[in-house]
Amino acid sequence: MRRKGTPMTAVVTAPTSRRVTGLVKSTPGRLSLIALLLVAVTVVVGALTAWSVQTRSAALEELANRSEPLSFAAQEVYRSMADADATAASAFLSGGVESPALRSRYEADIAKAAAALSTATGETSRSPEVGTALSTLAGQLPVYTGLVETARTHNRQGNPVGAAYLREASSLMRAQLLPAAQGLYRAETANVVRDQDSAGGGPWSELLLGLVALASLGFAQWYVTRRSNRVFNVGLVVATGLVLVSLLWVSIASAVVATTVSDSRENGSAQVDVLARARIATLTARGDETLTLVARGSGAAYEKRYGEVSGELGELLARGRSLATAPAVRDAVTSAEKNFQAWQEAHRRIREADDSGDYTTALGAAIGPDQGGAAVAFDNLDRDLVTAITQARTAFTGSVATARGALTGTVAVVALLALGAAAASVMGVWQRLKEYR
Amino acid sequence: MRRLVVLLLLLLSAACAPVPSSAPDITVGSAGAPTPGDAAEVGGPPSSAAAVPPCDATASLRPSGPLPQPGAMPPGSTMERIAARGRLIAGVDQNTYLMGFRNPESGAIEGFDVDMAREVAKAVFGDPNRIQFKVLTSDQRIPALEQGEVDVVVRTMTINCERAQKVAFSSVYYQAGQRVLAARGSGITGPDSLGGRKVCATKGSSSLANVANIASKPVVVAVANWTDCLVMLQQGQVDAVSTDDTILAGLAAQDPYTEMVGPQFTQEPYGMGIPKANEDFVRFVNGVLERIRSDGTWAGIHQRWLGALDRGAAPPAAKYRD
Repeated sequence: MRRKGTPMTAVVTAPTSRRVTGLVKSTPGRLSLIALLLVAVTVVVGALTAWSVQTRSAALEELANRSEPLSFAAQEVYRSMADADATAASAFLSGGVESPALRSRYEADIAKAAAALSTATGETSRSPEVGTALSTLAGQLPVYTGLVETARTHNRQGNPVGAAYLREASSLMRAQLLPAAQGLYRAETANVVRDQDSAGGGPWSELLLGLVALASLGFAQWYVTRRSNRVFNVGLVVATGLVLVSLLWVSIASAVVATTVSDSRENGSAQVDVLARARIATLTARGDETLTLVARGSGAAYEKRYGEVSGELGELLARGRSLATAPAVRDAVTSAEKNFQAWQEAHRRIREADDSGDYTTALGAAIGPDQGGAAVAFDNLDRDLVTAITQARTAFTGSVATARGALTGTVAVVALLALGAAAASVMGVWQRLKEYR
Repeated sequence: MRRLVVLLLLLLSAACAPVPSSAPDITVGSAGAPTPGDAAEVGGPPSSAAAVPPCDATASLRPSGPLPQPGAMPPGSTMERIAARGRLIAGVDQNTYLMGFRNPESGAIEGFDVDMAREVAKAVFGDPNRIQFKVLTSDQRIPALEQGEVDVVVRTMTINCERAQKVAFSSVYYQAGQRVLAARGSGITGPDSLGGRKVCATKGSSSLANVANIASKPVVVAVANWTDCLVMLQQGQVDAVSTDDTILAGLAAQDPYTEMVGPQFTQEPYGMGIPKANEDFVRFVNGVLERIRSDGTWAGIHQRWLGALDRGAAPPAAKYRD
């Protein structure tokens, strides 16, 4: 071991600037600097990588615990309110005091809407733009139920003004409540997509950071090798190994997360979105079908909208079938399509009867309990869609759970490996530095 | 020493002073009451009302001889076309209690106008149930007749010169008059006390034009159906409803806290609206009306629905221009 450069003692009394220059010029000085640099690089890279993994993990947590449940809650708010409105119209059409079945369906819808709304209201900070929609929903839902109860009271007393209260309730539902619920659903679904994007992105920043750490270690190794006869410095080799392990760990975990998040989209949320929209279209079409009969001869506007919405529904079902990846979902959607055809057929018969003046037959086909009637086909279609949505949602939840599992402990591992790499590089350089004493 | 004590006390009181609180208030967007779909305030009277020259609109076409037997309509006539179809298509209301309304219990459409329409069906088919109802709002009546969607409109339709230019009318089958309905104790006593108050009427009705022309200048609120007016009155969104006494009687019957006030301030002769081209059908319907006036059918229907409004009223006499 030969000594190289100026001894460190020579600069002790020199002014600071010269001391630093001297340090950099002497080999032990450079080695000390390199050690410091390596500690800084490994620790900073480790911290940044851990932070990045933590961000990914937080996005997954948001996805699982917040945005997806909220988007589902928003969908439930819409669905139960639309169903309540269609049920109220059916109850009116059936004449007299409504049947216990329709009454309890309406009550269940309102209870569900209120429960889903309280879930949706629990978390508002994420999307401030839904604040208005939420306050409209919370404020107008009681007004809606009040109008329906007033209508019911008047119907019981035989006052035709009950129908006017029901119309007012329905127009409140269509003009304010449903658009607010739709806005809520859109915002929450956008949050799901955003969380999926930030959780499932490629680990590019982690890779870059890892490469910076590896390059620094490589440079140090080269420098130390150049100044000694040994090819490898054990400490630095260990440090490099630890950084490599960390990089691999993070890359593999991130790749697993990216794949499963993409699965959650493909097998889950993308299908849920299409199916949820199909369900909303189903309810809208049913409402329009019923209101055409309520309007009794002057419901051309409702009938026109039924045509538009049911066309859209057909497309959504076809898309749902082509998107379906699990056999259970595909079967449910295929069955939904069959029931949709049956409904379309029943609707044609309703319109034929109503247009030729046979209102009683039209009414029977629309709200009667017989197989092949519109009410039965509508209920079956809705049930199929619920099955399909539940299946797709289970796939979504499973994928997100796998993704979260892949990141378990990654932050701690990354931090420990970074500290280990820092310690190993200091020890490696220290070994070399000792030879100058 | 005393100064020090004072200073200390001052400091102490300053320390005990409450810190202004910034607890947020709860703000409400609006507690606005819901309104019936497409309810709107109307500016002035409908412009077209003034431009029509005066005429004798209530004079209709004289029946041509005795009525044909049911099921034996003259060949080539409008009645034969209706008979071939198998049903009469009548434009009626389902929201006006007593005149044309949906019975909430049975779901059937009933009322004075509806029974009148059934008499026409009975004359064509011998069966009052060979009839298809097409529910029309006030403003849909004339378009439905012009486009031939209905054979006849029996829906509290006032005969006037403006409408007579577009559609044909039967002879008068009921003589109504416009009055005011308000909440009991509201201080509204008739059309003169409506100044600045909100008054409800349906779009496209002659009542709306009459309200807009009241000298005391009420604010007119237009809705689709007469029951929407009752909803708005009950919810305190309008102060009064003004239309024909027949319709108001139906509204008052559904709410004991309302009452009809003031005199009839217009004459509203009701006629059945018929497409202008179908003169043979106008004469046929007038024949039917002649018969039910004389054989007591009219009186029976009137007693059933409007007996409480004007007990024992005689059917209005027909007037013809040949």
